[in-house]
Amino acid sequence: MSYPFFEVENLTKRFGGLTAVNRVSFQIGRDEIVGLIGPNGAGKTTLLRLITGILRPDSGRVRFKGKDITGFKPWAIVDQGITGTFQITRPFRRLPIIANVMVPCLCPRALKRGEWVKKIEAKAQDALEFVGISDMALEKASSLSHGDLKRLEIAKAIATEPELLLLDEPFGGLNPAETELLAKSIRRLHKGGRFGRLHSEGPTMIIIEHKLAELMKIVDRVIVFHFGEVIADGTPEEIVKDERVIEAYIGKEVI
Amino acid sequence: MGTISIYIGRLYKDFKGGILVLPSRTIAFFFCLLLLLIPLITTEPYILRVLILSSIFAIFAASWDLLSGYTGQMNFGHALFFGVAAYTSALLNLHVGLPPWLTIPLGALAAVLAGLIVGVPCLRLRGPYLALATLAFPLILTGIIFVIPGITGGELGISGIDPLSGSRLTDYYIAVILMLGLGFVMWKITASKTGLIFHAIREDEVAVRASGINTTRYKLLAFCLSGLFAGVAGGMYVHFMRIAGPSTLELMLSFQAIIWVIFGGIATIYGPIAGVFILYPFMEFLRIIPEIRMLVFATLVVLILLFMPEGLTTWVRDKIEKECPRCKLRNIATRKSCRVCRADLD
Ligand SMILES: Nc1ncnc2c1ncn2[C@@H]1O[C@H](COP(=O)(O)OP(=O)(O)O)[C@@H](O)[C@H]1O
Ligand SMILES: [Mg+2]
Repeated sequence: MSYPFFEVENLTKRFGGLTAVNRVSFQIGRDEIVGLIGPNGAGKTTLLRLITGILRPDSGRVRFKGKDITGFKPWAIVDQGITGTFQITRPFRRLPIIANVMVPCLCPRALKRGEWVKKIEAKAQDALEFVGISDMALEKASSLSHGDLKRLEIAKAIATEPELLLLDEPFGGLNPAETELLAKSIRRLHKGGRFGRLHSEGPTMIIIEHKLAELMKIVDRVIVFHFGEVIADGTPEEIVKDERVIEAYIGKEVI
Repeated sequence: MGTISIYIGRLYKDFKGGILVLPSRTIAFFFCLLLLLIPLITTEPYILRVLILSSIFAIFAASWDLLSGYTGQMNFGHALFFGVAAYTSALLNLHVGLPPWLTIPLGALAAVLAGLIVGVPCLRLRGPYLALATLAFPLILTGIIFVIPGITGGELGISGIDPLSGSRLTDYYIAVILMLGLGFVMWKITASKTGLIFHAIREDEVAVRASGINTTRYKLLAFCLSGLFAGVAGGMYVHFMRIAGPSTLELMLSFQAIIWVIFGGIATIYGPIAGVFILYPFMEFLRIIPEIRMLVFATLVVLILLFMPEGLTTWVRDKIEKECPRCKLRNIATRKSCRVCRADLD
């Protein structure tokens, strides 16, 4: 029997009277890069947090490689192969940047897959190298700029060697040149392979992003969110022509 | 003859490169040396007694630091571990007849169990709620002790316990060597991968979870390890004082641990040890002015916190050493360039 690589089904999350995620269902194949877009407050971050186990859904299921992982603890989700980043970065401020990345390198999944890596520190260094901040490795995380914190967030996520990587606004706060560079890195990561002692499975990705022009260049498919519901799902070309999407995005701003 | 001088030469070189190179290490080295050599200077029982109790409380304070300083799980009832081990050791000694070298480890194991019992309900609590919950546990145990005075001796406690060794000098060496050894072990734990995760949990627990690490397990581990070391201190205390009373569970003892740690320097392990070895003898000295003893003590602590908010050892260390801006290695403050990477120090 075949099953989708990743699937959410009727996922719902309410905050008091507000339904932030409302009966959301979609499936994703192994090698896809999917963009998740929608106006502010549409519920994208909440959906990501439901998948990574930071929040528990009120109802609905999350399945990964045929296994029901709904309600798993965050570390168990990472163990399965799903890692997400935080939209508002959460560094360990008073620790050196290298130590920030050593923490995810110490998770059971990373230790199992990286048995051949002699030193955790070396692997963390390569993850920093990959996102381009290895020269700052010994500085305290609190000294990083906003853009570099975003990169640190990604270095921490890829250190767990995920098969499904969820990025929450990775380009937020980056200038065009930085965005370009990061987009390139993301594509390289998706291809998979070895970056020094860091191994990439070539993870499937869900990328939440507001910079649509950049996003559309990377993704194969776009899911559009509005008021907690999926209002469109298709290739970038289809999405930019979709009536409801235009209305949700531009319509409001014009009025 | 030749080989011996080679060895001595090598030893001196290691000593110079490993210890004399940094003033903080030199201070630590001479502190250890002084403690071990004090009996050559004086065997005055009162002085040895103060130093023995300082050693015991140093283990206790460092164990609080290991839990609360590192993982940020504020434990306001640390005396629980001390008291549980104290009563366990006392009862095992008195009723089962076990010798101190067995009752102390068994008492410490009982404290580990206490760590689990406290740790599990505290996993879900944060901030003031965690503080209140931890505060309550020793009070509950004190209550139980007063309910069953037949076993626990009630207010009077359990007396007639075997002495640690019988000789003040041997007691002294047991206490000092255990303190130095366990202090070293705790310091090693905090410098390990487990220590890194403790640090990270204090900084941002949610982010540690999202990094795939079972924070529940590590927080419980911290409670148990902390209980273990605090328990050794409790067991030693009982055999040294030869009485286990409700004072081993007192609120004041829990707070004392926090004061020692914050005074000495939180999340350092050596800070609490320094804190106890300064404050405890000082407190004893102040007995000559009993009326204003507490006032002087409190004033000193407040002043230190005001001018050295990160604690005494951290403050001193920053004065006598500088971090190389490039390689982050520490150097003696008088150097102009880093001893390893030659970068300018300023
Ligand atoms: N922890 C929370 N408690 C209450 N409301 C929340 C919480 N997190 C998000 N929300 C609300 O849920 C809605 C969706 O938020 P979010 O998922 O962050 O949107 P997006 O990431 O698409 O901008 C918003 O209205 C937000 O205010
Ligand atoms: Mg968001």
